Amino acid sequence: MLSHPSLEKVRDMLAQQGYITEASIVMSVFLAMELKKPLLIEGPAGVGKTEIAKVMASALNTELIRLQCYEGLDATHALYEWNYQQQLLQLKLEEHTDKTVEEKEKNIFSDRFLLKRPLLQAITHHKTPVLLIDEIDRADEEFESFLLEVLSDWQITIPEIGTIKATHIPQVIVTSNRVRELSEALRRRCMYLWIDYPDFDKELQIVRAKTPQIDERLAEQICTFMQEVRQMRLEKVPGIAETLDWAQALAALHIDHLEKELVESTLGIVLKDWTDIREVSTSLSELFEKVGAISKLG
Amino acid sequence: MEHGTKKDIIQRRTDLSSNLLGFCRYLRQHGFTIGPAEISLMLEALDRIAPFETPEAFKESLAATLCRSRRQQEVFGELYDKYWKELEKAVNSKRLDHPEEKPKPAQSQKPSIQQIKDWLYGNKEEDITDAATYSPSESISKKDFADFTPEEMSELWRVLQQIARTMALQANRRWQKTHRSQTMDLKNTVRQNLRRGGELMDIRFRQPKKNRHKIVLICDVSKSMDLYSQFLLQFIYTFQNVNKKIESFIFSTSLQRVTHALKGYQFRESLSRLSEEVNTWSGGTRIGFSLNQFIEQYNRLLNRRTTVIILSDGWDTGEVDVLEKSMRKISSKAGRVIWLNPLAGNPDFKPEVKGMQIAMPYIDIFTSGHNIESLRSLARSLR
Repeated sequence: MLSHPSLEKVRDMLAQQGYITEASIVMSVFLAMELKKPLLIEGPAGVGKTEIAKVMASALNTELIRLQCYEGLDATHALYEWNYQQQLLQLKLEEHTDKTVEEKEKNIFSDRFLLKRPLLQAITHHKTPVLLIDEIDRADEEFESFLLEVLSDWQITIPEIGTIKATHIPQVIVTSNRVRELSEALRRRCMYLWIDYPDFDKELQIVRAKTPQIDERLAEQICTFMQEVRQMRLEKVPGIAETLDWAQALAALHIDHLEKELVESTLGIVLKDWTDIREVSTSLSELFEKVGAISKLG
Repeated sequence: MEHGTKKDIIQRRTDLSSNLLGFCRYLRQHGFTIGPAEISLMLEALDRIAPFETPEAFKESLAATLCRSRRQQEVFGELYDKYWKELEKAVNSKRLDHPEEKPKPAQSQKPSIQQIKDWLYGNKEEDITDAATYSPSESISKKDFADFTPEEMSELWRVLQQIARTMALQANRRWQKTHRSQTMDLKNTVRQNLRRGGELMDIRFRQPKKNRHKIVLICDVSKSMDLYSQFLLQFIYTFQNVNKKIESFIFSTSLQRVTHALKGYQFRESLSRLSEEVNTWSGGTRIGFSLNQFIEQYNRLLNRRTTVIILSDGWDTGEVDVLEKSMRKISSKAGRVIWLNPLAGNPDFKPEVKGMQIAMPYIDIFTSGHNIESLRSLARSLR
């Protein structure tokens, strides 16, 4: 593990992992690691929020433990659960022994029958891991305040066993798509970073880095097109992931420039909602004028 | 000052930290939540940045430690530039005026310094209340829906949906014990049967807790009320993600049930189409008539577990007797009647409209529903 990653090192680290980024992101990642603070990353879907955690883990050469949040996520799925099947089996096996009920109980509620879920895994890991709490806005507020407790105490109490203290405090990344507001308390516990859709230059850099075989002109056209599409009022605005999928698909077909029919037939890679596809298809000529005008200039 | 003696350096250091504190204060006045924890984090961060590698690094590390939301991150750059520029101006003029840095009484300071102080610190009392009552959407949550510009609308929709979802998720997500369900409650089963040596004789089940409350929305979509109704409907619909039992009606001269029409997900489009349809018959608002229609056709929707929400300004061009009769019936059958009158958001409002006065005795909760704040409190009372 890097004990003192300088700002420069973090920048290189991100670059080596193929993560193209701006100075503000580098600074936040650096300070989060340096000050050992959780980093809350917000932004629209598909701009590479989760990617930061992955890059961080591989750069620090440590494990990434991921807790995917969803509606109704509760402590048993985040922390631990007892392995009921095993417990029952054990009880069966001991049926004719002369152990007392208390002894049996003590046995089945021991470490052996404990299923560790991400949070417990993270605090009992042998080495500082990166803990990614993905899409916290999907979980309910109850869970959020529970999480807050874990993030501040770094210990977990299991009634049957006792309190488990963290061996290493994980490096925490929390992401949110802003489906709902997060509590002020959680915000204040974390450092904050907003990542927006990339501008043209950044997106082009990303496309080039991830699809090296792509035609130069095509890459520019794709990025211009994506920038324009994001200006439209869509149900689901496409992110960088969609741009890359599209670029890779077109590059694989050995295409060197965008054409209207081509876009029409591959629009499903970029847009994942039929009303959006309909909307973009109808204004395709208009879009194309813009793309064409810009690429002629370039 | 450039060739610093030790004293100068110390002087400059204290200058810097007091300027940083001033900057934090300045940010606080612009809605940032900055307490001692944030300040110490910021100082710690600056300590780690090899003393100000570059001016950009300095700025970014402040941004990284002091911003707590997207809005803050967006305005930070501008505030930062403004603050340090003004400060520099002030310091320069101070140097010219007092080359020997003698401490002087405050009155003799040049106006520019006083000005900048006022500008930076503002009114002290104001600052304190600011920090205490700040919440991220403060600036828009008290604004009347009618006062939003078209550009602000989409942001408003988003905020409303966000709040509604937040509140919906707060609704009960716990499990409840039950006797007939597909989900076995293993935890309870094991505990319950422990004393039988693991023989599972008594199996426990669980299911998500059910919310048995129903909501009936009756919204006035005549010209003056249309906007408010749209926001209310949108809000309640999102809020209803958890509880599916919602029935909605719109009216101006006659009532129309829109529950199914609004189920599609191009919600806003269908809604504005529907209210246009209802409005084409327009010839004044007939609340009494419409509510009576509701009683006659949809009586069965009402029971003690139903909350009826009516949104209207109470202007009725029809018969007031009918209005009273319908309100009496609704109030006797429904569990609760909530009336939203967006005009009540005006501080000078008095319910003097005839229709409103007649309806008043049958209303359990009367509120405005004209801004985010009031919808939020409505949602709280629905839980």
